[in-house]
Amino acid sequence: MTQETLFLKNTETFAESLARCGVKYHFAYPITPATDVMKRMAVILPQYGGEMMQMESELAVSSALAGAACTGTLVATSSSGPGLTLMHEAIGFMCAAELPCLMFDSMRVGPGDGDIIGAQSDYFVATRGGAHGDYHVIVLAPASGQEIADIMPHGVRLAYKYRTPVLFVVDGLSAQTTESTTLPAYNDYSAEFDTSDWAYTGTQDHPKRALITGSYSHQDGYEMNEMLRAKYEKIYDNEQMWEAEQVEDADLVIAAFGIHGRMCTDMVAKMRAEGKKVGFIRPITLWPFPDRAFAALPDSVKNILVVEMNHGQMIDDVRLAVNGRIPVHFLGKTGGDMPMCTLAEMIAEANRILGE
Amino acid sequence: MENLSAKYGKTLNLDKLTSYCPGCGHGIVTRLVAEAIENLGIMERTIAIVGIGCGGFSHHYMDIDAIEATHGRAPSFAVGYKLTRPDNIVFTYAGDGDTSAIGLGDLLHAANKGMPITTIMVNNTVFGMTGGQMSPTSLEGQVTATTVKGRDVSKQGYPLLVPELMRAMPGVKYLARETVATPKGVRKTKKSIQKAFDCQVKGLGYAFVELIVPCPTGLKLNVKGSYERCGKEMTDYFKPQVFKDETEQGHVA
Ligand code: SF4
Repeated sequence: MTQETLFLKNTETFAESLARCGVKYHFAYPITPATDVMKRMAVILPQYGGEMMQMESELAVSSALAGAACTGTLVATSSSGPGLTLMHEAIGFMCAAELPCLMFDSMRVGPGDGDIIGAQSDYFVATRGGAHGDYHVIVLAPASGQEIADIMPHGVRLAYKYRTPVLFVVDGLSAQTTESTTLPAYNDYSAEFDTSDWAYTGTQDHPKRALITGSYSHQDGYEMNEMLRAKYEKIYDNEQMWEAEQVEDADLVIAAFGIHGRMCTDMVAKMRAEGKKVGFIRPITLWPFPDRAFAALPDSVKNILVVEMNHGQMIDDVRLAVNGRIPVHFLGKTGGDMPMCTLAEMIAEANRILGE
Repeated sequence: MENLSAKYGKTLNLDKLTSYCPGCGHGIVTRLVAEAIENLGIMERTIAIVGIGCGGFSHHYMDIDAIEATHGRAPSFAVGYKLTRPDNIVFTYAGDGDTSAIGLGDLLHAANKGMPITTIMVNNTVFGMTGGQMSPTSLEGQVTATTVKGRDVSKQGYPLLVPELMRAMPGVKYLARETVATPKGVRKTKKSIQKAFDCQVKGLGYAFVELIVPCPTGLKLNVKGSYERCGKEMTDYFKPQVFKDETEQGHVA
C-alpha cells in the first residue's frame, strides 16, 4: 500500500495503521465501540498475506494472541473495557514471557458492563494492570486519527525493542470520530528486529527453548522478576512522551490526555488571547507516565487542573509527579448523553482556579 | 548397558529424572507422545503447549520447543500458534482439570474450528498437583479432598465425557479414548497417539485423544490399587474406544 489520505473512522484508521506497519494476524471478539477495527482487519489483512481470526471470547483472544506472538510474528488485538478485563490473564502472561504485541482499547464507561458511551475509565486498568504480579505494559494514548497513524511505527518498535505488549488507549468518542488521516505506505517495522534468538519455531535451527513463566525454583522466579524490574526501569527512564505548550511562564497548567488533551490547544489559545497565562501538558505515554514534564514545570505554575473523562484516575499520577509541590485540581465527567467536559466547562473551571 | 536413545529416539530426554510420582500414568503417556513424534520424524518442527498441573511438566522430558500456557488455555494458544506457523506441528498436553474444567470452553472451540492441532488429555479423575480435589471427570461417589462424602451428582453433575461432546464436530478428524491400565491398552494408546499426530501431519483437522490413567497420589491408592481402579471403575465409565478415525484420507496439506 502506498501513502494515502483517507476519511475514516478512527477505529478504521487504527486497523489501517496496524496493517501498514506489518501486523499479520489480528485476534478479536466483537465489542462496541471497538468492533470496526476487527471488521476492517477482516477485509484488509488478506491483502497483506495475513488474517483476522474472530475468537469465542476475549480470554481465547488473548491466549491465541500469546500463542501467535511467541513465534515472533507481529500480532494485534482490539477491544473495549469489559473485553480488556477478560484479556488480562494472557496480558500478564505475555509480560512475563516477554512477547511483543499491539493492543487497542476503545475506552467506554463502567464499571460492570458499563455503557457503550465513550470514556477514559480504563486508565487504572491500563496503567496499573488487571493481572497479578509486578508488571507493566507500555500504554500509548493518541489524541487523533493522525496521531494513531503517526505513532504506530513507534508502537511496533517499542513492542519489539522491549519484547512487551503495547496498549493503545483511545476514548470511545475519539475512536468513533471520522476525520481525514494521512496513512503511511506499507512497511513492516517488526522486520527491523531479529527474533531468531527467542522465537519458538521448532528446533530446526536452535536447541530446545521452553517458555516457562512460572518458576521451577525460587531462584529462577527471583531472577525473572529482577530481569523484568530492570526492563521496566529502563522503559520508565527512556520512553516518556508528552506534548506541552506554553508552560514556560504559565500560572495554570492543564493536564489532560486523549480527547481532552486535544482540546487543550484551543483552550490555551483562547485564554492566552484574554491575557491569561495558561499552558498544558498532554501525556502521550500513560505508562511510563511523563513525570519529567511535570518535574520541569517552572515556579510560576501555581495550580494544575487535570481534566479527564472519568472520576479522576490520571490525577493520581499527576499528584505523584508533582509530589505536593503544586496544588492539583480535577474536572471530570462520564456517562450520559454528553460524556465529556466541554471547552466552555474547561475554561470556566480554569478561570475559577485562576480567580481563587 | 542398553542404549536407551537407540530404543526411544532423540525426542525423549532420558537425562532427566521425571517429577511424576511412582506409578503415575503421565510417565507412559509422555513416553508414547515422544515416540509418536520420533516415528513421524517431526521432532524439529513440533511444539508442545502444555497446561498447568502435573501434565505441565511433560515437556521437560522432551527435547522440543515448548510453551507452558496459562491454566486451561493451551488450546487457544495452539490456535494462535498454528495460524502463524501452519507448517509446524503443535500439540497440547494437559490433565483433566486443565482440559475439562477451566479450559473446557477453549478446548471445545478449538476442536470445533477443526484446525490441524493435536490434543492429549490425560484423565486421572482428580486434580493431582493441587492435592486431590474433585475434577469434572471424578466418578460418581468418588471421595476427594473436596467431595468428602463422595461426588454427589445431584449437586456436582455427572463425570464429564469430553470426546463424546466432540463427536458431532465435523472438524474433529481423529477422536479416541484409550487407557494405560493394561499392556493391551498401552499398545492401543500408542496407536491412537500416533494417529492423532499423523492427522495433523496430513493437515486433516483436529485430533483428540483422552487417556484414562492412574494417579496413585491423588487417589490415595498404592500403585497396584490405582491400576486396578483404572482398569475397572474408570474404564467402565470412560469406555476406551476410537470414536472417529478419518486419518486415512491421504495427504491434503
Ligand atoms: S499427583 Fe498424580 S498425576 Fe501428579 S504426578 Fe503424582 S500420580 Fe501423577
